[in-house]
Amino acid sequence: MSENSHLFEDRPVRWTGYVSLIVVVLFFSGAFSECTGLMSCLDFTVLNGSFGKIAESFSFMGKGGSGARHGFLFALSLVPGIMLALGVVEVAERLDALRAAQRLLTPLMRPLMGLPGIAGLALISSMQSSDAGAAMTRELSEKGLISETEKAIFAAFQFSSGSSITVYLSMGIALFPYLSVSHLVPLGVILFYKVVGMNIMRLYLHFVAKKEVA
Amino acid sequence: MAQGNIYDAFVDGMRKGWKVATLNMLPNVVLAFVLIKALKLSGLLELMGQWFSPVMSIFGLPGEAVTVLVSTLFSAGGGIGAAAGLYTHDIMTSTHMSIVMPGIFLMGALIQYMGRILGVAGVDSKHYPMLFCIGVLNAVLAMLTMKWLIV
Repeated sequence: MSENSHLFEDRPVRWTGYVSLIVVVLFFSGAFSECTGLMSCLDFTVLNGSFGKIAESFSFMGKGGSGARHGFLFALSLVPGIMLALGVVEVAERLDALRAAQRLLTPLMRPLMGLPGIAGLALISSMQSSDAGAAMTRELSEKGLISETEKAIFAAFQFSSGSSITVYLSMGIALFPYLSVSHLVPLGVILFYKVVGMNIMRLYLHFVAKKEVA
Repeated sequence: MAQGNIYDAFVDGMRKGWKVATLNMLPNVVLAFVLIKALKLSGLLELMGQWFSPVMSIFGLPGEAVTVLVSTLFSAGGGIGAAAGLYTHDIMTSTHMSIVMPGIFLMGALIQYMGRILGVAGVDSKHYPMLFCIGVLNAVLAMLTMKWLIV
């Protein structure tokens, strides 16, 4: 895992990082969904497009299907959206959007999460890939950059809704058309409670440590 | 390392999307649809609906929605599939979907993530029970938040 060492170095964030971070957030937010012309190209749902209609009313999933066959077609209908979403996320990542997000988050980490700023990249990465986040956390711990207590607090954040953004944008899009609210609202609630959860862990560990001393 | 062609990045990301979609999402969704169908045909779904209706009504959800929460513990794709299946059978409405949505992810795949996150990061196993509780608690609080404040 030492190939990840460079990730903790303080390399400056390229300007493309901030720009791509803003663009990618707007892209998935639906802010441009009502726009026409050039601006509409900046919206996920618009670019995801639609399947053609069969008999002028139904998509290829038809009507009244059930069981494995319907589940298969339903799952198949989600594949293009997942590919588009992860394609855009990958581009944003190459343009340094993750590092930009980390830089913006660093000052908040100690007060809000009880973690040192150096864990910022692992934290942002864990929302994109739980595996990357977990591997980076292990490395932080092996290098002595975070304590065992901090690692347990960090784990509470990563464990609940692992790969939050990726999973929400890949599997979650299945339910976007059925929601009665904007699809960003549940995502906001998820991220909020991830932070709440790690603070519950913080309190719990604080309480346990006190008890062990006494 | 962070440099590289944008076009290539797009294609790489889409390839990842294809893999996630076909290897992780699709099998779980198909299985969830099969389970919902089997539960419905056997009459078990209706029974579960009755048994769990008192608990699930706390969240403003029908009793049958318990299948979403149980499936999601194994994989978020399963939870999503179960929710979509219940929507297809007209058991869940779009308000129900909005309430259950954050719950699906916050307690999603905890069983898988025990190895993939806690195991890989090397978290002391004495913390596992508390971490499970936090995952489920997050989901409960998030669904109540959706019910009371948002939908």
